[in-house]
Amino acid sequence: MPHETEMAPYVMSIDIHVPIQAVWDEITKTGSIQRPLYNSVLDVTLEPGSRLRYYSPDRQRVFVVGEVLEVDPPRKFSHTYHFMMNGVEPPTTVTWELAEIPGGTRVTVTHAGFTSAHKGAGKQQAGWQEILGLLKAELETGTIPLRMRFVYALMGKMTWMLPKSTKVEEVERAGF
Amino acid sequence: MQARHCVDLEPVWRALASPIRRQMLDRLREGPLPTGELAAEFPDHSRFAVMQHLRVLEESGLVIRRKRGRRTINYLNPVPIQQIYDRWVSRYQRHWSASLVDLKTQLEHEHETDWAG
Repeated sequence: MPHETEMAPYVMSIDIHVPIQAVWDEITKTGSIQRPLYNSVLDVTLEPGSRLRYYSPDRQRVFVVGEVLEVDPPRKFSHTYHFMMNGVEPPTTVTWELAEIPGGTRVTVTHAGFTSAHKGAGKQQAGWQEILGLLKAELETGTIPLRMRFVYALMGKMTWMLPKSTKVEEVERAGF
Repeated sequence: MQARHCVDLEPVWRALASPIRRQMLDRLREGPLPTGELAAEFPDHSRFAVMQHLRVLEESGLVIRRKRGRRTINYLNPVPIQQIYDRWVSRYQRHWSASLVDLKTQLEHEHETDWAG
């Protein structure tokens, strides 16, 4: 098997002017829509080894599958990450780190473990950039920009266009 | 509790105002680097000057520095640049929705003048 080149991790950070617990509660919220995370629904038990899934709002599709690695409320949450839109790929690792700063919380996301075997690593970074901006808007103003709500409404009508690998049955069949 | 939706971009603007700091950001955009390797790319500047610039970049949020053993790795954080863009660039561009509203207004006005004529 050819040796894949390992790529450097992506590290991104944003400052949000709300208490650290508010950020933690939002990013670990399960069972209801997380607007900053592309309107997905998180299903997880917050303990190491537990299975993690991000579903589409209608629960028909799974965007991300993983396993919880580390949980240290309200400071650190890390998990493995299989991006189901790309089919079956080796896992990468996502780490959320929250730190108290004057006036609020510094939120840092590290996405690591990309190799040349992964498709669209750069798009993952662009995605997190957008997510962090939406998280700031959601927590500071209670809503996200109109443009994004419009995009979500469109996305909701287009789930039939998503790759088969995101269907719940396919995910289960793949052993996730 | 309603927090102010505030982004203090002043430190980012100050960080971007220096040509060498902009060059450092361009270099880090290609991939993170340990401090020593980054400094080696700026042989005309003392190690001390490079460290000063990195400190300004870190304080602005444009660079995230992480210790890995005895080395410190410098990562470019793209978020502040996105915030600059959102605040100063995107709102100066005409969005398609604004164009559609203009088209609607124009067509309605033409329709009215047809009736009046």
